[in-house]
Parts: sequence; C-alpha cells; structure tokens
Amino acid sequence: MEKKRIVHYINNFFAGIGGEEKADIPPEVREGVVGPGLALQTALGDEYEVVATVICGDSYFGENMDEATETLLAMIKEYDPAGFVAGPAFNAGRYGVACGSIAKAVEQELGIPVVTGMFTENPGADMYKKDVHIILTKDSAADMRKSMPKMAALLKKMMSGEEILGPAEEGYIERGIRVNYFAEERGSARGVEMLVRKMAKEPFETEYPMPVFDRVAPNPAVKDMKHAKVAVVTSGGIVPVGNPDRIESSSATKYGVYSIEGKATMSPEEFMTIHGGYDRAFVLNNPNLVVPLDALRQLEKEGEIGELNNYFIATTGTGTSIGNAKGFGEQFSKKLVADGVDAVILTST
Amino acid sequence: MALLITNNDKAKKFCMDCRKEVEVIYLADGTYLDVLLRTRDYVHRGYRLLTHPLCGSVKPNQTPYRSVLLEKQSAREENFRSVELIENSIDAARKFMRNRGTPRWNERTREDFKTVDLSFLTVYEQRNYV
Amino acid sequence: MKLELGRIKIHDVQFGPETKVEKGVLYVNKEEIEKLVLEDERLIGAQVELARPGESVRIAPVKDVLEPRVKVSGGGGIFPGMINKVKEVGSGRTHALVGAAVVTCGKIVGFQEGIIDMSGPAAAYTPFSGTNNVCVVIEPQEGLETHDYEAAGRMAGLKVASYVGEAGRNVEPDEVVVYETKPLQEQIAQYPDLPKVGYIHMLQSQGLLHDTYYYGVDAKQFIPTFMYPTEIMDGAIISGNCVAPCDKVTTFHHLNNPVIEDLYKRHGKDVNFIGVILTNENVFLADKERSSDMVAKLAEFMGLDGVLITEEGYGNPDTDLMMNCKKVSQKGIDVVLITDEFPGRDGKSQSLADAVNEADALVSCGQGNLIIEFPPMEKIIGTLDYVETMIGGYEGSLRPDGSIEAELQIIIASTIANGYNRLAARGY
Repeated sequence: MEKKRIVHYINNFFAGIGGEEKADIPPEVREGVVGPGLALQTALGDEYEVVATVICGDSYFGENMDEATETLLAMIKEYDPAGFVAGPAFNAGRYGVACGSIAKAVEQELGIPVVTGMFTENPGADMYKKDVHIILTKDSAADMRKSMPKMAALLKKMMSGEEILGPAEEGYIERGIRVNYFAEERGSARGVEMLVRKMAKEPFETEYPMPVFDRVAPNPAVKDMKHAKVAVVTSGGIVPVGNPDRIESSSATKYGVYSIEGKATMSPEEFMTIHGGYDRAFVLNNPNLVVPLDALRQLEKEGEIGELNNYFIATTGTGTSIGNAKGFGEQFSKKLVADGVDAVILTST
Repeated sequence: MALLITNNDKAKKFCMDCRKEVEVIYLADGTYLDVLLRTRDYVHRGYRLLTHPLCGSVKPNQTPYRSVLLEKQSAREENFRSVELIENSIDAARKFMRNRGTPRWNERTREDFKTVDLSFLTVYEQRNYV
Repeated sequence: MKLELGRIKIHDVQFGPETKVEKGVLYVNKEEIEKLVLEDERLIGAQVELARPGESVRIAPVKDVLEPRVKVSGGGGIFPGMINKVKEVGSGRTHALVGAAVVTCGKIVGFQEGIIDMSGPAAAYTPFSGTNNVCVVIEPQEGLETHDYEAAGRMAGLKVASYVGEAGRNVEPDEVVVYETKPLQEQIAQYPDLPKVGYIHMLQSQGLLHDTYYYGVDAKQFIPTFMYPTEIMDGAIISGNCVAPCDKVTTFHHLNNPVIEDLYKRHGKDVNFIGVILTNENVFLADKERSSDMVAKLAEFMGLDGVLITEEGYGNPDTDLMMNCKKVSQKGIDVVLITDEFPGRDGKSQSLADAVNEADALVSCGQGNLIIEFPPMEKIIGTLDYVETMIGGYEGSLRPDGSIEAELQIIIASTIANGYNRLAARGY
C-alpha cells in the first residue's frame, strides 16, 4: 500500500544550518527528513512517509511573511502531501509565529490536516490556536522526545477522520472553541457543587474561563511636570544603526538602553528601526516619528518638562510574549528609578 | 440634556414629544450597527451612556432597529465604562452579523420591532435619571 | 415559610367531558378551556390541542409554558396578583400536576419564537418534549395593539394553568416534598456550622415581551428584595418574556426553579440555604448600578457566605450579571454564576457580552449558536409560517418537506441560563 505523504516545516536552527546568524535564510526544500524530522518519521510509523522538509529562517519569515508563505506553499504543493507538520517551536517566538502561520496557510490552501507544537507562552500560540491545533510542549527543545509523538498521534487521528476530543485528551492548547455536550448532572446541581467547593476553599474548575484582562492600574498624575525628569521607552524598535544588540524584529527576547546625551534630534545616520510589524520607510527616514526626541528637546528648552533623561530604552513589541514584556519592564524600571526618572513616555506602534 | 441616537422613527417621535428634553440624532437609513458606531463617536466626545447599547433579547442580526440614550457629561468626568461598554457591544453585534445578516422583514414585522425597541426607553419619562 | 408540595404524577393527557385527574391521567374539557380563554374580548380564537411525549408533533410558535398547580391550603392562591389576589403565598400545601404542562402558542408579533418537538433530535433539547402538553393556540382580534396582545396571551396561559391545576385539588399526591426556610436568625441558628448560601435570581425586565412579574408587579419597577424560596413554587413569579426562545425562563421554569430545588436538596447537609434575593435587568445603566449595589448590600446584610446567580437573556443582562458578581465578591462573598453562551456559529468568539475578573466560577448552559437539523413532524400545533422569522431561523430554514435547519436558539428553553438542563459547553 502507498505510504501517506507528509511534509515537515522547520527553521534554520533545527535544520542544522546555523543559529541566529542564519535566521535570515530564504525558504528551501530538501527531500526526506531533516533534523527532528527523523523523530517525526519514527513517531508516525511505517504507513506514513515524510517525503520532504521545507526550511526557512525565522527572521526571513517574519519580515517577508507573504512572500515566504507563497514560496513555501509552492514547494509544499509539489509533494502532494496528505498531512503537514510544523515545528515544534517550543518557546521560540518567531519560529512559533512562523509555524502557526504556515500551518494555517497549508490548511486553507491544500485542505489537509495540519499540526504544530509550542509552549503556552509562545506568542504564536495565542495568535494561531483558533486556526490550527497546537500541541502543548515544554519551553525547550529538551521536550522534543515527548512532543513529537503527541504531534504525530494527533495528525494521524485527523488524517483518519477520527473524532478529535478535548485539549486534555489530545494534548493540544485549548483553542477557545465552545462545544456543546450533555453533562451527567444538570447545570444548577453542578453550580451548587461548585459553590460548596469554592466556599470550602477546595479546588474547582470553572466551565468558562473568563478572558484575562491583565490591567495595570495607572499611577497618579505627575504633579510638577516642570521639574520632572522624563524618559522615553519605546516598543517601536528604534536602535542604533547596525542593531548592535541584535534585538529581534519580532518576538523580542531583549531590550536595549541607548544614549541620546547631547543630541537634539534622532538622526537617520545614527538610528534605525528594526520593527517587523510596520512599513519602516518613514521611520528610517526620520526616527523622531517613534522616539520624538526633537519635540521633547523643545519642551525641555521651554521649561515644560524639567529634564529629558539621557538615554531611552527600546525593544520590539510585535509578537513579543507577555511574559517577556513584563520581565523587561520589571528590570529596566529599576534602572530608571535609580537614575531619578519621575515619569516615562511610552511610544508604541 | 439627553441625546437619542436612533434609526427608529417611533423612538424619535417619543423623544421629541417627551416631557423631558431630548436631542435626537435620527439615522433614517442607518443600520443597527450604524447606530452603535455613531454612539461610539459621541462617547468619545464626552457623552456617557444612559441605556445599554445591546438591550433586548432580539439579537443584533434579527432586529433592524436600535435606539441608545446618552447624556453629555462634564469635562472632568471619566467615562471609561461607557467606552468599554460601547466597544464590547459593537464587537458583539459584529459577531452576530458575521453569523448571518439581518433578514428583509415585511412592513408589519418592522413595525413590531420598532414598538419593542421603543418600549425599552419609555421608562425614561417616569423616572429621574441623574 | 414551610410548604408541602404534593406532586401528582401525570403520565397521559386526554380530552374528556370533565376536567379531572384519574389514575395519573389528566382529562381536560376542550370547550370549557376555549370558553375560558375567550372570556377575554381581545381574543377571537382559542384552539386546544394535546401533545404527548414521543409523538410526531411540532408546536410553534410557543409563548409560555406553565405547570398546572393549585393552592390547597395556607393562604392565597396560585399566581398571586395575576389570577388570584395579591395575598402572600409560599406556605401550607400546594398540589402540582407533574408531567403535565399548559403551552400557549400564537403569533404576537411579526417575529416569532419557540419550537417544541415532541420527538426526534430536537426533543432532547427541551424539557417539554417530556411533558403531556395542553396546547392553547390563541388568535387576537384584528389590529389588536401589541402590548394588549401580549397581556391577553399571558393571562390566557395563567387562567388555563390555574383552571387545569384545580383538577389536582382533591387528588392524593404520589409524593409530598416539604420545603422550609425559617426567618433569618432562626435559619442561621438551625445549622450554625454550615455555610450560609443565598440565591440571587435575576429577572428579565427590559420592555415589551421582555418582562417578568412578581406578585403582579412589573420587575422593571421594583428594587431588589428578599423572597422566601417557597413563594416561587406558588407562582409568585410569572413570565412575560416571549423573545429568544432558548434562554427564555418560562413560568414552568419559575415554578420549578432548579437552583432552589438543588439548594434545598443539600440544605442542612452541607449548606444552609438562607433565601432568595430577587433583582432585575433594566436597560438604564443607572438602574443597573442601583440594583447591583442593593443586591450586594442585601447579601452582606443577610450574612451570606456564598451565592449562586442566574440570569435571563443575553447582552444587556450579561452586564447586570457581571456587576452583581463583582460587587457581591467585593463584599467577601463567594460567587458562582450560571449562564448560557453565544460564541458565534464557529464557537470561536467571545461567549458573553461582558466580563469581570471576579467571575472565576461559572457553570455553562450550552451555546445557542450551534446549527442543528430537525426532521419534519406529522402534526403541527400552531403554525410553521413563521419559522424563518424566528430567532435562530433564517431564510431557507424551513424546507418544503417540513424539515428545519436552524440555530439551537430556536428551541424553547434549550440553553436556559438557570441550570435546568444538562446541556453544557466546554472549551476545545
């Protein structure tokens, strides 16, 4: 009997091509398995064959999403697969976004079952969980041994038309799709039970998790702006030309601290933007559009603000996990406070 | 003074005849969603909601008519709750529209929807709303 | 208050020369019922038909469903303030014809609501496929004003339920269940070691076709108040709500409120059921603020440790639900919510129109956007002319062969948000 054809998508790192320095490679295709594709083949078994592996650099994909997707789809179509697997991406943000995106595109274009895998905090998870099934993995590649078999198992089920059960049974990240079923007991009885447990401080499970609104209560207004030290923090991706800290263009894992001492304006010779989420042309031409140094110096001169802090802090907002964003904020706010900053202007894009 | 935003001529008439003063913005050919969107614009201009934008159990993709009562508030007052409510309502309305569009009802049925929509407002005349 | 509820089990319904109950069969006199309904000059037609579980019968469009009951002793009469005088109810003895129901049908407005299938796939979604139904199809005077028509329809249902309920007055019930709630201090003292639980019952109160009545008072006009749980069993609360079939709380559901029943089941065992706080779901935001403040105030004043909250409707009431949840939680009282969901046809959108962080314990009654298919039925009581204009229906819903494809929300009480059904939804 003919084996069922599978195509696998991985990134530069898992393909063994290289690390961050190779994150900009364009799409390519290889016959058979590459890297973790072997684990996939083993997990799938004899009736399936991973006929090809498509590879793309994480930053290339992030910065050329439409083009890369088109190229990859063409490559994938050539192999006429009956199923598609992307990743797993664990906690790698750009890789996760790429996996989710290509899996969704393959499902839409080819109409075949697709599966991917990620850690729950991977920004790709929130973005794509409603569109494709994402197996929940741990946050590092050490989990490959456990994740790949789960992904293979789910794909096989989908390909054979078996009923896909809930997240707890199948191991995927809850997609947020509400499905009716008839419970053993009526709603009011379940309600009373839930209340008895809640009052007794025993564990219970809500049947509908509320969307989480992670709100931060604003601090009170600045009383004396004319004597305040103000700093700029941006998620608009403004960095010194050359991006010395190698901040990612999406799914940032770091932030940078950059001096503006003595500068009256953000010059395009000194600063650039690396943000992958907007058209960079205007900002490359005039970085003041995202870090409004020229306007702030004016206000400083006029005495409207006490003093402008002599550095600004920057990262990239798009696709960056909430966990990371929180972490950055907690870290650099300590520095800002230590340096006597009273207020921060946050610019986002 | 209150402001009525509506596409229901029965509601328009009620407010114009009302004992209390009500300014009326009547969107003659507007849809349910148009009323909500205009409401949102006014909320952002410093008006707060007096009535819930999604009142009634007839879903947004069933009834063509919607009326919302608002009131101008003083400059110092914060109306975040109104902003939140109108935005959520617009989201909810769009969700239903995505399922299915509003049917083309006959005249009699349209009149009935207008009557029900108006009935949500009539208590305004009797009660004092500060 | 202490109420003995005598449950007379009905397993069949037939027409007969005399309205009576004999050996578990309910006999009704067709002409007498029709005459009773037509006493109201606003109505020119009243047609009585029967529908039994398992029959190939479809009933549409349904306005209300009621359970025939009669007050045997204890003061007052069933449906106080509507059929009987306003005198307080909830004590003494009441008989209920369990397994029977009165269903009113009729076109009140151009858009319709509510299907009951007595068999087939849709039957699983409504409790009334399992009751022996006395259906009353009403027809109004030409040009009758909508408010009047609604009132006439409502009264017709109450009159017939009351009339049929009389048949149970002198019948020995199959079982008698005793429900008792003492005045606050005594109730607390009765089970001092058990957590004190209350039930916050939100009543639909928005406008025409969206009203509920407590002792005959329109819920839009009242402010939150305390009710002994047994009062509801005598019809102190009746429904004037005839839109959105799936989460419409029928008068039958008020009489048989499941939260009250299930709290009583555990009363004295692991909860001390103190009583019910009634509140409303007005359209005006100021009313919502006022009502939710008062609900929280009452809950705290009563010394409650925990509450269950149910609502009726979608959208506007979700805001009340969340306000009640938030304010009661902030008083340090544990809250569990019971509600239904509308996450869109693919199940992927936000299920509720509002949300607060305190809503961390919620029971789901299923989602009403799911599309289902139901086959044609041999007999139609009422009319199918309006299926396409029913909430949940749409152009093409009703096929020429009589089969229907529509959203679940078209079936009466399918996702009722008081927890009466076993239908639920979970996240996939």
